[in-house]
Amino acid sequence: MSAEVRWPVVELDPVARLHALAAAMPWVSLEERVIEAPFARVWSYIEDMEHGVPQFEGNVRRIEIVSRDGDRLALRSFGPGGFAMKLDAVLRPGWCIMRGTLGEIGMAAAPVGPTATRFAHFEGSRWLGRAARPLFRRFVRRDLARLAALATSDGKGTSPS
Amino acid sequence: MREPSAPSPPLLDVQASAEAEDELVRSAQRGDALALSALVDRLAPFVGGICGPIALEHGEDAAQEALIAVLRDLPALREPRALYGWARRIAAREAVRHARAARHAPALGEATPLPAPGDPSLAQDVRRVLEALAPEQRAILMLRDLEGLSEHEAAALLGVEHGTVKSRLSRARSAFRRRWSS
Repeated sequence: MSAEVRWPVVELDPVARLHALAAAMPWVSLEERVIEAPFARVWSYIEDMEHGVPQFEGNVRRIEIVSRDGDRLALRSFGPGGFAMKLDAVLRPGWCIMRGTLGEIGMAAAPVGPTATRFAHFEGSRWLGRAARPLFRRFVRRDLARLAALATSDGKGTSPS
Repeated sequence: MREPSAPSPPLLDVQASAEAEDELVRSAQRGDALALSALVDRLAPFVGGICGPIALEHGEDAAQEALIAVLRDLPALREPRALYGWARRIAAREAVRHARAARHAPALGEATPLPAPGDPSLAQDVRRVLEALAPEQRAILMLRDLEGLSEHEAAALLGVEHGTVKSRLSRARSAFRRRWSS
């Protein structure tokens, strides 16, 4: 067979990949929705982690980047009541996975044309197990609603970008 | 004239790399989110490269379902180094299942004649030739020529009769050779 043959290949977008990743973590709750805002605007809240994530992630009051090496980050997050947690993360356009001692967070996004974005988000805790999934489902739905409201607002004083 | 080949990496580096990959798979099996992220980076293009040529327009659905199946059942994998062979089998079968479920897929004994060459886009040519084949033929053609499996291994991997497929596969490959060696 000639090396010139170009076989059709499939590229799975980050949202499809996040669904697959979540299949290996049966203790997480994943939800997906379409946000009527461009990808760059939606993702700016995740990309600018220190300013953007606390605006929609209900369990994070503050987040600090401790160190950065390429797409790998070491983070310190502060939850309600000042509870601190160390997190290791992978962050690149459309893809963010965070691993802490007590839980995991995943976010992925893909453009739907120039004006809308598919966004998927999971949260869960291997430590708490499957029993905590309903609780995390509520958190995830709340976060998605907040992010959608931020990204589709007029942007005054909210967008981190 | 042959291209000068790149020097092989030292044996110890290769071994260390293989051991690091094994450890990555084991961490992913334990549910480590970052190890799973790294594994998804490797497996998504691997699975997509198998599902695309077999399932064609249904390749994306096939690849996603294959990737989900691989990661969901990852804890059951005993030997980390068997990961890619195992993923290949799941992806090929998932792709054939999706292609077979498609309304207009030709049955194994009803493959239409291969189209004549001449289309302006080479990639389009490949797609048209593939569309004329039965999904099992596409699967074996791809596994044989892209993945380097023997016809027998590919047929066994897909759970189809080697003898039944062999003659039709041979004609499909001849057509490919004529088209792309001219």
